[in-house]
Amino acid sequence: MALSGVEIFKLLPKTNCKKCGHPTCLAFAMKLAQRQATLDLCPDVSEDAKKILGEASAPPVRPITFGTGDKAVKMGEETVLFRHDKKFVNPCVLAIEIKDTLSESDITKKIEEVLSSELDRVGQKLRVDAIALTNASGDKGKFEAAAKIISSKAPNVPVILSTTDTASAEAAVKIFTGKRPIVFGANSGNAEAMANIAKAEKAILGVTANSLDELSALTEKIKSLGVEDMVIDSGAKKAKDIIGNNTLIRRAAIKKNFKALGYPVINFAQRDDSLHEALIAAVGIAKYASIIVLSSIEKWKNLALFTLRQNIYTDPQVPMQVEQKIYKLGEPTQESPLMITTNFSLTYFIVSGEIENSKVPSRLAVMDCEGLSVLTAWAAGKFTASKIAAFIKESGIENEVKHRELIIPGYVAILSGSIEEKLEGWKITVGPREANGLPAFLKGRAA
Amino acid sequence: MAFVAPKETYSGKVYQVNAGTGANALSFGGENVLPFNSFEGTVPNKPLIAYEIQDIPPADWPENVQKPYSSVSGDPVTWAKFCQDTLKAKAIALRLIGTHPDRENRSPEDAAKTVKDVLSAINVPLIILGSNNAEKDAPVLIAAAEASKDKNCIIGKAQEANYKTIAAAAMANNHKLIAMSELDINLSKQLNILITQMGFDKERLITDPMCSALGYGLEYTYSVMERIRLAALTQNDLTMQPPMLADVGMYVWKIKETQAPESEVPLWGNAEERGIAWEATTATALLMSGAELLIMRHPKAVEAVGKVIEELGG
Amino acid sequence: MLIIGEKLSIIAKRVREAMMKKDKAPIQEIATRQWKEGSGIIDANIGPAEDGGEDLMQWMVTTIQEVVPLPICLDTTNANAIEAGLKVHNNQWGRPLINSTSNDPERFPILELGAKYNAQVIGLTVGKGGLPADAEERTGIAAEIMARAMEYGVPLEDIYLDPLVLQIATSQDHARHVIKAIKMFQEINDPPMKTVVGLSNISNGCPKTLRPILNKHYFVMLMDAGLTAAIADAHEMAEALQEKKMIEDVLAGKKIDDAKKMAEITKTIDVIMGKTLYAHSYLEM
Repeated sequence: MALSGVEIFKLLPKTNCKKCGHPTCLAFAMKLAQRQATLDLCPDVSEDAKKILGEASAPPVRPITFGTGDKAVKMGEETVLFRHDKKFVNPCVLAIEIKDTLSESDITKKIEEVLSSELDRVGQKLRVDAIALTNASGDKGKFEAAAKIISSKAPNVPVILSTTDTASAEAAVKIFTGKRPIVFGANSGNAEAMANIAKAEKAILGVTANSLDELSALTEKIKSLGVEDMVIDSGAKKAKDIIGNNTLIRRAAIKKNFKALGYPVINFAQRDDSLHEALIAAVGIAKYASIIVLSSIEKWKNLALFTLRQNIYTDPQVPMQVEQKIYKLGEPTQESPLMITTNFSLTYFIVSGEIENSKVPSRLAVMDCEGLSVLTAWAAGKFTASKIAAFIKESGIENEVKHRELIIPGYVAILSGSIEEKLEGWKITVGPREANGLPAFLKGRAA
Repeated sequence: MAFVAPKETYSGKVYQVNAGTGANALSFGGENVLPFNSFEGTVPNKPLIAYEIQDIPPADWPENVQKPYSSVSGDPVTWAKFCQDTLKAKAIALRLIGTHPDRENRSPEDAAKTVKDVLSAINVPLIILGSNNAEKDAPVLIAAAEASKDKNCIIGKAQEANYKTIAAAAMANNHKLIAMSELDINLSKQLNILITQMGFDKERLITDPMCSALGYGLEYTYSVMERIRLAALTQNDLTMQPPMLADVGMYVWKIKETQAPESEVPLWGNAEERGIAWEATTATALLMSGAELLIMRHPKAVEAVGKVIEELGG
Repeated sequence: MLIIGEKLSIIAKRVREAMMKKDKAPIQEIATRQWKEGSGIIDANIGPAEDGGEDLMQWMVTTIQEVVPLPICLDTTNANAIEAGLKVHNNQWGRPLINSTSNDPERFPILELGAKYNAQVIGLTVGKGGLPADAEERTGIAAEIMARAMEYGVPLEDIYLDPLVLQIATSQDHARHVIKAIKMFQEINDPPMKTVVGLSNISNGCPKTLRPILNKHYFVMLMDAGLTAAIADAHEMAEALQEKKMIEDVLAGKKIDDAKKMAEITKTIDVIMGKTLYAHSYLEM
């Protein structure tokens, strides 16, 4: 059972020494309770407390860092089943499969696709995170050779080494010593040998089975052999089984604190039809996969999957924001009306939608208010006369439009006089309170 | 410690709704578990995808989704027959967009005629949609509901501002009804309550919590749908048990990602494949959150989502 | 239970106009009424008050205290306006309360004012960007605010922790998170931390007839959780105290004779605890 912050606090030294980086033991205890800090930050905690807290504060899905350096990716740490309850924590890793049966030039081509996959979307850098090298040849030499190509051409990309042959696994993993690769996989036939390889090389072990029962037994066995970091595959290939098994694994970990399945889940989405593959990956992204292996990474597919991953892993408590700037709707001229609102994305979507409905070409100034809606931003002191005036002045809009009229939301009518004082030469007009009043308002002015 | 599958039994279920008449009538909804969780309950029907057509040529659709229909979209009847006969559509959604005051402002009588003509040409279930102009939709959908009396169509969308007249027309002419609210679970529940308080059978409703495209607020629709479904199942909330609609095509085919040519955004790849993937990915995500009825545009996107539905169910 | 009279807010049209015109009569009338109805502090909410906030807050404090022998809750995001208000506050009627500090760095200096003027301070358990997801996150922020208060020299018994009540019509789950947070706030210090809520925000956006019902039920449930103070309508809260026994009986699983009242209380408790989904017509279901 997880302990509450207060229960944890009682076990801490209560010295408020700040050595853990938190201002008080209480603040640290609260972070521990939310699993946003780890106990090793406290140098003075007693051994007894460590024992109790270590068990109680272990996250239901084990946190694992895959790879090293700036391209390392975090997995696990999930605490909920539904994203509206609390943020899904670590976005799932997208990996491309490279088979060791490919020629060196084909392998190189795929590596280059990975290296050039990075996109910027809403301020986040998104990319294909990992390479899954598969021992399709069944030949140790080919596997090792392909691993060397990957290691030399993509030295920073996290790698999954997929083979059930222990000799091949051992040969390949040595190429990535110190880089935290995943050795995939251990099964009921080779678990012991694979565990020893992973342990020796400090690699993450991918564990595969044909049922959840078998999988649970395997992870327990491997853990007893001294390997803590695992990713698990239930053997699901079809979408129906992916959703079924992933759901049961997540539920077992979170609702039952069932440790044997408290590991990041890996799914294999490879299909001949690339679009079909993308949609199977979409199922995995929505339903609890931590790693999805793909067979191809076309640009259109990356964009769609990166975007879905970003959407699903958005923090539901942080309002989604749009970029602060002056947006053109329709094809505005120098005379077209100029409106202002806040950067809460729903506000923006609804206001810009209604302006488009009006068919009156316009400009919409969207101001950064930390994603708050108009009235909330005003009350919080983020959407105030002086901030609005400063934004308009700095935006350069005065060079773009001939008029000097700014339409403000009806909810902040109270600001009109004050903005006029601070924004010399401008006339402030009060618009409707609700966005759905905009079409009539704009058409009425145009008429 | 041995693994015990943590299965759930829910107190509620989703109403099963059927549409159309005769041999091609179809049902959707009816499950008593979260989407595709057939391992712990019953999922009697697969989600239904309807092809979107409209009463006037789709001049405002992007080139890449106009193309598959270029030889048929000049006339709604030809277009509908093409969807049914060539694309093997299981259902068709006729959007009366030409009635919008800012478009062609077609009259309710014109709309009724289009509905009649389309209905006489097809035998699959028909969804009849207004132009999303709350004021104009009221007379248009009344005329459309009368013109399709007893054909068991799905009429929509009833919104807070016009639900009374549209619900009354759907009721009088034996249709199913789509109730739409804007990304707000509480208003969605409220609208369903108001409609059922008029005497409209709650088991003839379809909830539309409002769609949003991938990258443009999808997560809001996703979570509202997921919460609606959880209220239906875990709280046995009778007002939240109608199946849900995702009106995907309309929201997807107006954003930059489905239009910008590759020459403008080389990192985004081929525009046509990107557009299709965008529609199919949006639809698949919303299937995960509980949509049972989808309205889509591009034949290849419909086909791909159909394939996923097969894989999820079989 | 300490009631902080909520009626003098710039959001209310009549109050806003009086503030603009510096018309004392309506302000004094409303303040007096709240005092007679049982308020122990009067909230003066002047909004962000960018322009002339200092004058306005001083005018509000002196205008209210001319007729009412109570301390003032100085409610604005403008720190200069708060300081101006503190300077003229008549402390013989009690210590002033500052609304508020939080985990947003912009709001840290408020604690300096608390220390300098020996005022009590409301600590709103929100950070910068994003609302707390649940009671645990609120308590985590509370711990940081408490640490900061000690650092600035504000004794913990002068801090009122505010878990931030959200609208039930749009953020239903938070209604029960706030109740839980009130309980947790008391556990994280000995003696227990004081707590306060902006009560009527719970029913903001709900139909007019529903608002008092929700406010009163929520008040009783928060009181049972150990709430110290509420920024609320004193008149409404006096009514809530009369209904308290009935609501507590239903909460304890007892039946009450009035079937209609029983249904109203049961349904409202279920909505507050998130057992049924809120809709404006929930009482009719």
